[in-house]
Amino acid sequence: MSAPTQRVDARLKVTGAARYGADLTSPNLAHAVFAVSTIGKGRVVNVETAAAEAVPGVLMVLTRFDASDLGSPGFLMGHGYGFQSLQPLVDDRIAYRGQPIALVVADTLIAATEAANLIRADYEIEPIAVALDAEGAETLSQQEAIPLPFLADIVVGDAGAAFDASPVRIEATFDLPQQHQVPMELIGGVVGWRGDTLVVHEGTQNAGALRGGLARQLGLDPAKIEIISPYTGGGFGQKNSLQPHVGPLALASRRLGRPIKFVMPRTQTFHQASFRPASRQLVRLGADETGRLLAAVHEVDQQTSRHDLFPALYTEITSRLYGIGQFRGRHRLVRTDVQTPGFMRAPWEQAAAFAFESVVDEIAYALGQDPVALRLANDADVDPVTGQPFSSRHLAECLRRGADMFGWAGRTHEPGSMRGADGTQIGWGVASGAYPASIAPAVARLSAAADGKVTVGVDGHEMGQGIRTAIVRLISEDLSVAAEDVIVYVGDTRVAPQHLTAGSWGTATALQAVHAALRDLRKRLNVADSDPVDVEALVAATGQATVDVEATTVAPGQPPEIIEQSRAGLVSFAGPVYPGFTAFSFIAHFAEVRIEPTTRRIRVPRVVSVVDCGRVASPVTAVSQVRGGVVWGIGGALRERSEVDPRYGGFANATMEEYPIPVNADIGEVEVGFVDEPDLLLNPVGVKGLGEVSMVGVAAAIANAVFHATGRRHRRLPIRIEDVL
Amino acid sequence: MRPFSYTAPATVAEAVDALAASGPGTKILAGGTTLYDLMKLDIEAPAAVVDVHRLTEIAAIDTTDPGEFSFGAAARMADVADDPVLRRDFPALAESLAKAASQQLRNMATVGGNLLQRTRCGYFRGGPAFPCNKREPGSGCAALGGLDRGHAIFGGSDTCVATYPGDWAVALRAFDAVVDVIGPRGERTVAIADLHVEPGDTPQREHTLAGDELIVRIRVPVAPSSRGSTYHKIRDRESYAFALVSVAAGVAFDDQGAVEDCRIALGGVATLPWRCPAAEMVLTGERLTEESALRAGEAAFAGARPRAHNVFKIELGIRTVADALRIAGERAVR
Amino acid sequence: MTAIVRRSGGNPTNAPDGGLCLALGDMGSSEATLSSAIRTETAFTVNGLRVKMELDPRESLLDVLRERLGLTGTKKGCDHGQCGACTVHLDGRRIVSCLTPAVQVNGQAVTTIEGVAAPDGTLHPLQEAFIDNDALQCGYCTPGQVMSGLACIAEGHAGDDDEIREYLSGNLCRCGAYAGILAAVRETARRTDPRVGEG
Repeated sequence: MSAPTQRVDARLKVTGAARYGADLTSPNLAHAVFAVSTIGKGRVVNVETAAAEAVPGVLMVLTRFDASDLGSPGFLMGHGYGFQSLQPLVDDRIAYRGQPIALVVADTLIAATEAANLIRADYEIEPIAVALDAEGAETLSQQEAIPLPFLADIVVGDAGAAFDASPVRIEATFDLPQQHQVPMELIGGVVGWRGDTLVVHEGTQNAGALRGGLARQLGLDPAKIEIISPYTGGGFGQKNSLQPHVGPLALASRRLGRPIKFVMPRTQTFHQASFRPASRQLVRLGADETGRLLAAVHEVDQQTSRHDLFPALYTEITSRLYGIGQFRGRHRLVRTDVQTPGFMRAPWEQAAAFAFESVVDEIAYALGQDPVALRLANDADVDPVTGQPFSSRHLAECLRRGADMFGWAGRTHEPGSMRGADGTQIGWGVASGAYPASIAPAVARLSAAADGKVTVGVDGHEMGQGIRTAIVRLISEDLSVAAEDVIVYVGDTRVAPQHLTAGSWGTATALQAVHAALRDLRKRLNVADSDPVDVEALVAATGQATVDVEATTVAPGQPPEIIEQSRAGLVSFAGPVYPGFTAFSFIAHFAEVRIEPTTRRIRVPRVVSVVDCGRVASPVTAVSQVRGGVVWGIGGALRERSEVDPRYGGFANATMEEYPIPVNADIGEVEVGFVDEPDLLLNPVGVKGLGEVSMVGVAAAIANAVFHATGRRHRRLPIRIEDVL
Repeated sequence: MRPFSYTAPATVAEAVDALAASGPGTKILAGGTTLYDLMKLDIEAPAAVVDVHRLTEIAAIDTTDPGEFSFGAAARMADVADDPVLRRDFPALAESLAKAASQQLRNMATVGGNLLQRTRCGYFRGGPAFPCNKREPGSGCAALGGLDRGHAIFGGSDTCVATYPGDWAVALRAFDAVVDVIGPRGERTVAIADLHVEPGDTPQREHTLAGDELIVRIRVPVAPSSRGSTYHKIRDRESYAFALVSVAAGVAFDDQGAVEDCRIALGGVATLPWRCPAAEMVLTGERLTEESALRAGEAAFAGARPRAHNVFKIELGIRTVADALRIAGERAVR
Repeated sequence: MTAIVRRSGGNPTNAPDGGLCLALGDMGSSEATLSSAIRTETAFTVNGLRVKMELDPRESLLDVLRERLGLTGTKKGCDHGQCGACTVHLDGRRIVSCLTPAVQVNGQAVTTIEGVAAPDGTLHPLQEAFIDNDALQCGYCTPGQVMSGLACIAEGHAGDDDEIREYLSGNLCRCGAYAGILAAVRETARRTDPRVGEG
């Protein structure tokens, strides 16, 4: 039996039959809409609800919950569950524009929306600081503000002195904008009660946090909460935690005795969820005359909110991209008047790689060296930070193979030296990327039935990356069962704790647990690990209808008890530094840009990306994931920027029209290669992460290509038409 | 959205009666892509809506008269964009439609309704968090001193600098189209040049039609430069975006190879479709070269009043005009 | 009425949807009441089946399909005509259902993603091509992409790669499945019309 080559849930998706959180319909649903703050900061003095309440069909208008009924969920990165610690609607404080001030529930969406629009409020307005350098923004040293080992500044040797002593030195400061995840599926779903059990249908990457967080907020027994999220319509970090609408909806639903559907308007998703924070990055890089990199300094100021400290981890990859003996990182956090920023695909790495890989390219040009050759010459043998070996590292192979696929040998070195017949400037750029290979605890419950069907429930969320397909492939190959006989439950707290699926650890985490369950099943069926299995016959021979096993796995070096933390819905992953080794995924991107001679539109007709993600668990979905990462990289390099008007706060271009994610016509050829070498030190299935590394370095490769085309370096993203006129 | 009454008259005559009978809070609904959208945003709140989008008697596309093309107001943008005669003989008009919005929206939106498309200024559409004289007269203009990258550098006032977002009207403006309207007081014809108005002190007033007047037809005289025309649109992405700068251009040459008919109008940079007679004059009687095209572009953007974040539109605009003229010139019969 | 509009699809195999109805089956019981706007009787067909209902003229076709007819394959991504996720066909032409007041479709024929596969579950060739080219990831934009792709081919706008890209640009895909979508539409167009070139 060969494993499936197609995405196993594709049929459901092309027929519209896949059910997302808000796809539940039932005649007794009520509908909810939030009215939101129009000011950037201050206090709400009075909320005028009479007009809203008078709208026919309106069931309730809630402006304030008792804090004892609706507590703080705690902050995801502070042993909590929420994208931020702040729970709206429990006091009069307004921390950012777009914060909810009232919840309207009505029989119909039309009535709820009409009523929400009629809500007016009086405010006491306070001055706001929404930019890194705004008056009133407060800058903190991260390692002093959050004294945790993994957030300490990375210091190896004396990089400052080594930089000063370097014969070739480049220093540059980069400004990176706020960006938003903008998954296609709007935040929301259906919240209701079945007896005294709270049932939430919502697209999420972290059903465990929804359960744990609601238990904490509402004082419920977690066993009386079910989170059901079989499909998430894109997450990209936005849906990695409990969001502040769910608790109020649960309370309103209990009061009404009806389930409530809530679909957050697109503009509100820009304000009621996280975003990629703004950052300013100073990079100093020193080299000798042969091109050996001697010292690197990488200092980052990153935006956070007033109420939470969203940590910064930019130097985690830049300290390891090359074998640089002397490195000094520094992270500072800048408190501003926004909702708490958070994770967006390659949250720090995308920005860090843009800054660092731009400077690496500049070093190559300062020395007259080929940018690929310089990178190859500076590959690392061991983790420069810990001195440990890497579990696997094939960055050099990515660079070599990528250069070959791209035809890099045909490149002429001089900027501006490649032109089309019409004067179009052509640039070819390269950049490396890396992303930590983390793993989280997981539980897999596997049931083999006498009819030959195999059912598995495991930690993991399907948000398009193809985790379900990877799981089916593993089981199908191992047990020689047809793909259609494998039934997978993910994103469902009824079958497993449902730890956060993010940070590119999802597939490795789930597969490791399923792999362990398969080993247990074989023991129960008395089949050696390498022997073929006839599930139907062997289960039937036991005389039972099913043979059930449950396996729990953790990351290398984690104590088994960590699973209890995961069962509580708390973030429990480990990596990239494990006892005895360090694990990262690696990638090399090669990009071609073409810049029009007159109106200067920048196009990216082709990209080649070669990835070292360990074993490729699901080839078809993996290619799609990398292509998607490249599309994100193109968007990040040339299009996306969340605009802020310092007078009003919030985000000004909070629509899918004004926040320009790439369209089909923006995307050319994207060729993907895999090293496909299993990393068996990291886990027995040999899988490292893929989703985020695929984006890391794309913006740098494009910016380096723009330099190659024009001779001009760019220190800000996105690079737009006015930057190259 | 506020409640409203809805009527869908079957004929133009019925529509006129419905408009005559209705009060001042009445709006005409065609494709819905602007009005219904703004109603969802609580920016438009009509008490009554008269739906004209299926009045087939005003949906005809007529490109058979070599002297004048005529488009029923209820014709869909997609259908006009795909008209083979228009694409061959008047590419600027076809392209202005094809490069607008998406095919789905072009299948919905009518060529009449599109003329009165309202601005995409984020402060206007953003609602009560922002002052906006267009949305709430007298409240102020958040774009002044704000995020003005997309705003107008022509035709603005100190109450409003919102850009007219459409493409079709820009192309029509370059070619002296007229608009036939009907209302309780009868029919009249309005030159496209007289349809839109600058914001001045009353940015809430965007055009010269009365509330009970219905656009029934758009007529465009076929000019010598119609065949040698283009609509060149520069955007932040390759498709499905409003213009940073767009140019409707047309040229025709005399026997000596000099330009005898030149048309230039701008989109994305002005508070209304912006014709550039001075730039047209630069080229008329001259040869079309890279250099003369750039001079025309410079003339088109002379007098621009950029704001903090849109100075680049001048240089971009000059080059877009030059490129548009080159494309048009290549299409022109010599 | 709501029961018959959905054509029976294949049963979910690898992807049980978590017992949606089961989980919420006995949650409360009161009937939703419509708010009191001026209602308009509207008759149209959806996937070939006749529908007649009293509509508030404010209701969008998208919300009527999803909330009142249970046709949830059509998705809401922006509700303002800026993403294409809600694309359906109206009298054979693609439109965005979010900016279509449902009363406007009186007398017309609506086709949604649920009406694309044959009644016996046989997929349309474009749906097959989406699967073969892995033209999707999270799947949320996919119904809109399929509806748009079908129309793109029918309109004759699938002549070459650039044309397909342009005419599918009204359907955003945040996962970035554009290469697969392009390939699926190109392949299907070529099967339908052999004159369509490589692009």
